[in-house]
Amino acid sequence: MTVLPSLDHLPGRTGIRQVVRAEWFKLRSLRSTTWTLLATVVGSLAVTVLATNSVQRHGPSIGFDPTNHSLTGLALGSLTIGVLGVLAITAEYSSGTIRSTLAATPRRPVLLGAKAIVIGLVSLVVGEVLTFACFAIGQGVLSGRAPTASLGDPGVLRALVLTGAYLALLGLFGLGLGVIIRHTAGAIATYVGVIFLIPIFLQPLSSSGNPGRFAPEQMLANSVAAVVPQSGQVSAPLGCLLMVVYCALVLAVAMMLLRSRDA
Amino acid sequence: MIAAHALTKRYGSTLAVDHLSFEVSPGVVTGFLGPNGSGKSTTMRMIMGLDTPSYRTASVNGQAYAQLRWPLREVGALLDAKAFHPGRSAYDHLWGLALTNGIPRARIDEVLDMVGLTEVAHQRAGKYSLGMGQRLGIAAALLGDPGVLLFDEPINGLDPEGIRWARYLLRDLAAEGRTVLVSSHLISEMSLTAERLVVIGRGTLIAEMSVSEFTSQSAPDTVRVVTPMTESFVNALQEAGAESRVEPGGSIVATGLTATEIGTLAADRVLTLYELTPLQGSLEDAFMDLTHDAVEFRTASPTRSNGKVPT
Repeated sequence: MTVLPSLDHLPGRTGIRQVVRAEWFKLRSLRSTTWTLLATVVGSLAVTVLATNSVQRHGPSIGFDPTNHSLTGLALGSLTIGVLGVLAITAEYSSGTIRSTLAATPRRPVLLGAKAIVIGLVSLVVGEVLTFACFAIGQGVLSGRAPTASLGDPGVLRALVLTGAYLALLGLFGLGLGVIIRHTAGAIATYVGVIFLIPIFLQPLSSSGNPGRFAPEQMLANSVAAVVPQSGQVSAPLGCLLMVVYCALVLAVAMMLLRSRDA
Repeated sequence: MIAAHALTKRYGSTLAVDHLSFEVSPGVVTGFLGPNGSGKSTTMRMIMGLDTPSYRTASVNGQAYAQLRWPLREVGALLDAKAFHPGRSAYDHLWGLALTNGIPRARIDEVLDMVGLTEVAHQRAGKYSLGMGQRLGIAAALLGDPGVLLFDEPINGLDPEGIRWARYLLRDLAAEGRTVLVSSHLISEMSLTAERLVVIGRGTLIAEMSVSEFTSQSAPDTVRVVTPMTESFVNALQEAGAESRVEPGGSIVATGLTATEIGTLAADRVLTLYELTPLQGSLEDAFMDLTHDAVEFRTASPTRSNGKVPT
């Protein structure tokens, strides 16, 4: 019989350190995590290869942004990284695990904080590695048929680092939506709607300006992942800042609802 | 020690739990009894901090659940048969919980052994039967070796051998000095497991007493009468206000008068009496009687608002 230390002699209380360890283990112990990350990596690299391979030999020259072109595949990755964030919480609701989880960690801000740390760090690492991999493979495919970029070129490193970080923000955005909506399908549909579809619907509605340029996926494709500034788009720093604001808003609403709702 | 203080939960215009107050003490199994939909699960979820009460509070060891420093070391609960992810193994499910409360790895093998899941510990829990899922839930409740345990309908889905095992487990846990609250809608099951009862109906407290008190207090007076003058006796009982029926063997079972009253009645009417036996009402009858009264009480005065509970 394992004798657990008596509570009187056990100092402190369960907190973010213990819960982060638990959430990290829980994420690793699910097959869906492996599949989602595999889809993110394989899908993004495959689309990047297709996109760069379709560039006409000696075709483009003026205004061609080889960095931006090699990151095209991340459109797919930005979908699946959001799914990773969504599943981190909706899978708990659909299976009933949430009740065990909250019995072990009744302080809900601690739980959401721990999930955000784990999802944020995992998608940051995956995002950065994947961005650099897309860049390297994309430049390899482009070489010989179009101008290529290297890490030393002005603006390239900044674009790659920010793009990786942007993917981490999308993971957190998905987590926040998952907490708010609680159902996997509903949360993923909302995520796709907000990230990809809003700009498409906004486009014909507005004759002046381009409201779609503030939508998450457009800011990623046209601003953050671009080295050559594109006309009519927000700047890369502003794009990142806006995405941080979006994330903060969604996570704040998520925190409020998680605290007030019955599990 | 579990305590509810005028605990109330309102869903829209429905009061699921209505000013419910009771205490659960260590050392005995306390049955939490009520018909389906009477508010047992809602009450247990409020004790566990999963649902927020609309009014007042519940406490465990004198504290709100969320205030507990290491909750799994103080309270263990089985609230749902399926509170685990089907893609995770029993071992991984328990390890994920253990990490949050600083519980050592060795304890996982122990609780898996206690509930008999050692051999399937590394299979995906989605493949488990309902009974195995229930055992995993019990293992999770025991994980932190807590002094307070809550089980919501723990025998659901268990086979007869599993039911026997669960009964002994609950009684052993209480005998070790733990506080054990077990909900059920089956009084017959509680009579075998529990020593004390908290009975609720429509979210209000009906009774808080020992099982033996419960039977003797709430069972109606039922008396067996053996007489050669069956017909006259039945008429006399009817006139005296008792209900009676004649058993196949010829004896009469009368309800509504005590044995003393029937004896006096027989003397008054000069009726021959061979046998007069007070019958112990069954728990099932007592339970039906109590909860039926609760329903009637509510219908009679739907606007009751003083927050008192009927007893």
